[in-house]
Amino acid sequence: MAQRAVWLISHEPGTPLCGTVRFSRRYPTVEKRARVFNGTSYVPIPEDGPFLKALLFELRLLDDNKDFVESRDSCSHINKTSVYGLVIGGGELWPVVAFLKNNMIYACVPLVEQTLSPHPPLISISGISQSFELLFGIQDFLFLGQKNDTELNTKLNQLPDLFLQACPFGTLLDANLQNSLDSINFASVPHPQKQPAWRVGTYKGKPQVSISITEKVKSMQYDKQDIADTWQVVGAVTCKCDLEGNMPNVTISLSLPTNGSPLQDILVHPCVTSLDSAILTSSSIDTMDDSAFSGPYKFPFTPPLESFNLCYYTSQVPVPPILGFYQMKEEEIQVKITVNLKLHESVKNNFEFCEAHIPFYNRGPITHVECKVSFGQLEVFREKSLLVWIIGQKFPKSMEISLSGTVTFGAKSQEKQPFDEICIGGTAYLKTGN
Amino acid sequence: MSSRHAPGAGGPAPRGPLVARSGVAPETSRLYLGGRGCGTMGPPSRETWAQRLGAFRASPSAFMAGPEGEDLGRDLLIELRSEKLSEQTKVSLLALSLEYPAQLWPDAAAAEAAATSLLDTLVLLPPRPSALRRPLLLAATTVLAAGDALGPTSGASRRLLPLLLGLASGRDLGRGFGPASEQRPLQATACECLRELESCKPGLLGDCLGLLRRLLGQEGPVQPLSLLLALALRNALVIRAKAKAGLQGLLVAGDAPTPGGPWNWALAEEGGAHPQPQAPSWPAAEDEECGLAVLEPSPEEARELRAAVAQLLDSSYLLTPVAQAQLLWLLGWALRGLRGQPPVLFKPQLVRLLGTAQLALLHAVLALKAAFGEALFTAQDEALLLRRLTLAAQHPALPLPAHLFYLHCLLSFPENCPLGPAGEEAAPLLLGPRLGRSLLPSLLHDPMALLARLHLLCLLCAEDEEEEKGQGWSPQRYLGELLAGLRQRADLDGGPRALAALCFQASYLVVRCLATQPLVLTPLTHGLAELYRARPALAPHFVDLLDRVGPELGEPLRAVLRQEVVSRAGRDEALRWHLKILAKVADGNAPSATLGFLRAAAAHCTDWGLQQALLRVCRTLMRAGVREGLADLLQALARQLDDPDGRDHARLYYILLAHLAGPKLGVALGPSLAAPALTSSLVAENQGFAAVLMVQEAPAPIRLSVGPRRAAGPGPVLQLQVEVLEPVFSLELRFRVQGQLYAPLDAVHVPCLRPGRPCSPLLLPLQPRLPAPTQLSVRALYATPAGLTCHAHLPPVPVNFEDLFLPFPQAPDDGDKQGFFEELWDSCLPKGAESRLWCPLGPQGLEALVSRHLEPFVVVAQPPTSYHVAIRLPPDSRLLLRLEAAQAGGVPVALRTDHWAVLPLAGDYLRGLSATG
Repeated sequence: MAQRAVWLISHEPGTPLCGTVRFSRRYPTVEKRARVFNGTSYVPIPEDGPFLKALLFELRLLDDNKDFVESRDSCSHINKTSVYGLVIGGGELWPVVAFLKNNMIYACVPLVEQTLSPHPPLISISGISQSFELLFGIQDFLFLGQKNDTELNTKLNQLPDLFLQACPFGTLLDANLQNSLDSINFASVPHPQKQPAWRVGTYKGKPQVSISITEKVKSMQYDKQDIADTWQVVGAVTCKCDLEGNMPNVTISLSLPTNGSPLQDILVHPCVTSLDSAILTSSSIDTMDDSAFSGPYKFPFTPPLESFNLCYYTSQVPVPPILGFYQMKEEEIQVKITVNLKLHESVKNNFEFCEAHIPFYNRGPITHVECKVSFGQLEVFREKSLLVWIIGQKFPKSMEISLSGTVTFGAKSQEKQPFDEICIGGTAYLKTGN
Repeated sequence: MSSRHAPGAGGPAPRGPLVARSGVAPETSRLYLGGRGCGTMGPPSRETWAQRLGAFRASPSAFMAGPEGEDLGRDLLIELRSEKLSEQTKVSLLALSLEYPAQLWPDAAAAEAAATSLLDTLVLLPPRPSALRRPLLLAATTVLAAGDALGPTSGASRRLLPLLLGLASGRDLGRGFGPASEQRPLQATACECLRELESCKPGLLGDCLGLLRRLLGQEGPVQPLSLLLALALRNALVIRAKAKAGLQGLLVAGDAPTPGGPWNWALAEEGGAHPQPQAPSWPAAEDEECGLAVLEPSPEEARELRAAVAQLLDSSYLLTPVAQAQLLWLLGWALRGLRGQPPVLFKPQLVRLLGTAQLALLHAVLALKAAFGEALFTAQDEALLLRRLTLAAQHPALPLPAHLFYLHCLLSFPENCPLGPAGEEAAPLLLGPRLGRSLLPSLLHDPMALLARLHLLCLLCAEDEEEEKGQGWSPQRYLGELLAGLRQRADLDGGPRALAALCFQASYLVVRCLATQPLVLTPLTHGLAELYRARPALAPHFVDLLDRVGPELGEPLRAVLRQEVVSRAGRDEALRWHLKILAKVADGNAPSATLGFLRAAAAHCTDWGLQQALLRVCRTLMRAGVREGLADLLQALARQLDDPDGRDHARLYYILLAHLAGPKLGVALGPSLAAPALTSSLVAENQGFAAVLMVQEAPAPIRLSVGPRRAAGPGPVLQLQVEVLEPVFSLELRFRVQGQLYAPLDAVHVPCLRPGRPCSPLLLPLQPRLPAPTQLSVRALYATPAGLTCHAHLPPVPVNFEDLFLPFPQAPDDGDKQGFFEELWDSCLPKGAESRLWCPLGPQGLEALVSRHLEPFVVVAQPPTSYHVAIRLPPDSRLLLRLEAAQAGGVPVALRTDHWAVLPLAGDYLRGLSATG
């Protein structure tokens, strides 16, 4: 269940090493157990330098990955999880849990309490999920609400102290590092018995509960008879409960609007104390009769002090909020594009902002754009091969807008232009955001 | 905590209440004696420390090997008590000792001394709030545990353990341990320290279970106490089970060690020095289960145990999710296999846990599933768990690494009734095609997700084949389309290597799972051939794929690739890739097309690399047994190539082809014996040839022995028996006589020998120049089945005196044998020599002795008392014996010879006869 070592590495393509270790922490008492448990298959935790090199190679993040290298590119070197084996000093360091997010590589090595050859299945290693929780926890701490590099550096500098708190001996005590930071600050407040470990401190003041629901729509529209369009809503319910008492009990009940589609694939926060089995079984995968549970969806819980995601869900909407049509015709170095967007009448025509992004991949730089928009304005980002159609805060009364014109591209130079493995030739997409 | 202690030499004077410090081993006190101001620089400032720590962290091994390395540990301990440094700097110093104790204090004695010093620093802290107490506790614990110093003989351990237990139980330790406000965090920290010590030395807290339970029930901090209790409980159960002992009231044990009293190490020592797996991996845990069954708790103990577990589980909601998961792993495996402990205790937690998105919690549920199986999860529960996993494996709100882990969990799902072999990835039975279909791979997925989903799809395809072919949607067709899409992406000019690698990984995965489905393999083969046509630069991937797949895909793919390459003109830009592929796929089929391609290509092979690639193809053809046309090509290459190295090589190949028979050629061109890893290097290759074509020195697989004597014919002949341990061909045995005693011997040839198949004895005629025994040294030269020629030295073969004996041509049958003998007898003198000796007889008597050893040479016999023996000794000597008037113990022998040198040999021979029986 314990971790042998943790690293945070910033990925810096173009520099000689392609990365820098920003933070690392080793756990010698765990290492000592690893040596006993792993026996002859034991490989010690390397120093930062060799680890960085081996990890970047394995993750294909070195600049030099043009040639075929058997140990990485062989067809039998199949990786289906974010768990890697790194060849270091003649031995294989395994399991290394690692992933890249926001140009930061999160990595750690959990303790495996048995021999490593052959590799035991990951599912049977308790440390693996703890590794993920730790790394997700660090990621949330660094990037939730983070605005700039200075703030990131401040947070990175707080990590050693936080680790003393949240993971003093390699066994993770709380993946919510912000909590640990708060508990350092709250250290002097006397804790009553029966206070959850994830509810640090107490709230004093006016009781209030705020709830916000965020929904994102993912839709694929084919404009073809034989292929049905698909769309899915992904929702999150976020709560902030300012309530006095050690363990206030709150129940939030979500009801669907009239004719609303049922919520499916519900995942709840661990503070939820019990769940209706209909909530557990309602899923989008397997639309059995009993899965059409239309609420009310009750969530009894004791809230943590901070803002948290009470639950996530998916849902099917009857129609997508924006119906789109995008056509692209290729004529040598030019493409002719036509875009029509139509806002559905059931959607409130009032946005903070609304934009449509039209990227072009696997082509040379944009040299000339001749486009007409029926509404809003068009911006051209030549170096990014991107057109941004700024629609603004409202659609016009007709609810329909269109864009048409031609885009001319220069000669293709491999290095700089955006590459995409899907958008080849006439395959392209347009992304609306609001 | 009232006794005072004398500070170590060089340590600061005590200023506050102190804990008793037991004796420090004498050699450890050097840490203090080196003392302050010993360094050349004086006490380092905050900046110097920051630099020093930075340099250390950049490469600990390099720093420790450098000039400053030796003093670092000592300086660090001294500086912790310096009043000049800020607390923040001291915390960073402590952080170093938390991470690198083994580098700073490499042996147990140094670790013990360092821990003692850390504890001293702790008790010397002024009673105001300080940020150092927690890290000092953590550091002392780490240094002791990591430095192998934890144990009953360690003074630091004897101080630290009661201190930690005192803090953990919220006992008032006096003002020395900071203000009351600091007690709560210190209590939690002490619990964590104890948990770590218990992890490293299981059973350490075996005596404290009762105390911990009480604390958990009262006011203690829930999470640290729960985790500590769960671990101590688990370890105690395992240790007691291993010792085949009962629980013996462990759970209700009274008080923990009294303050200052001796610590009870009994259970820790029972557990041995090794840490116990806290959550053993599943297969490994199977054995342990049997172990736990030994524990047969009394009904009362079982009730106590249940109460303790229920107490822990009931408050588990108060723990952070990761801590809940740890608790479930610990308790799940602690109770598995233990009689009278129904897993139902866990049931109330499950529904709550199944609803969460938390990876650690779902993983812990899976661990419970693996531990208890049907006892905790009915078939419906299993189906629900699978639905939740399937859902989590693709939920848009979860990050990709979580999706991938859930996909892995699906493929390794601990089923109630698994069908396949254990340890192999398989689609769970209850997953069914509907759920499975929701996890189909698509080109839009991340490569790892695509591979994981593809694996699942392949497993579904494999099942689908067994079932009836359904109408409509076919997984095989979907798979085919997906692979085609992957190939299209790999074909992208300038696309990253990863896309090509993904395409080949997917193809490999499909072949591995669906090797028996032509419906899948045929389009795959052709698709790959098309991919090669479009992008020959992927040749290394093709070669790698061919190396790894079985014949199901390998053979057809070779054929289409060969066809693909040879049908092209030889002057393609991608010539080097074509040659690379051809070196892999060329064989005896349609050699004329291949040779045609090579002839055309030769003109365009202008640089060394291309020429070598071309020659490698020739080499492959030679190995495949192609001769016709190849000799011409090689001859042409030997003249035509620009590079002298290439020409030499072509010539060498030509000579090999012209002079070696097929099998020998195969071996000669096989992987180099000298340097198998360097087949492409010319030097290595030539070494390989040399090794193969030259005679190899080898340990002999041949055993030679001398068979029965044959006293007949014109000269002495040695009968040799040959046995072999492995097949041997064209064996030539060469004999050499030491000295000049014999004429040189001819070699003996045997065409073929096989183990277990006896061969007729080999006859080796000897031509002695003097009638004397000798030894023949033997060398064997032979060919192995692999075609190598080997040479071996065999143990020498002895030629004994009696091996030279030959009978005289017989006197006429009816003639005067006595007269014949007397004539010989008289003729020996005066030139020769005469002697008399006593030949001892064994129990068998004279008659038996003669018939066994001398029968062929007897001229006159009057059994059982008198024999006249005449022996011819080549080249031209004789030995005559009269054995007469035998007595009980022996027979007097008169002997004459015409060669005086024979006498001592004959004497030895006769005296030895009775010994040989």
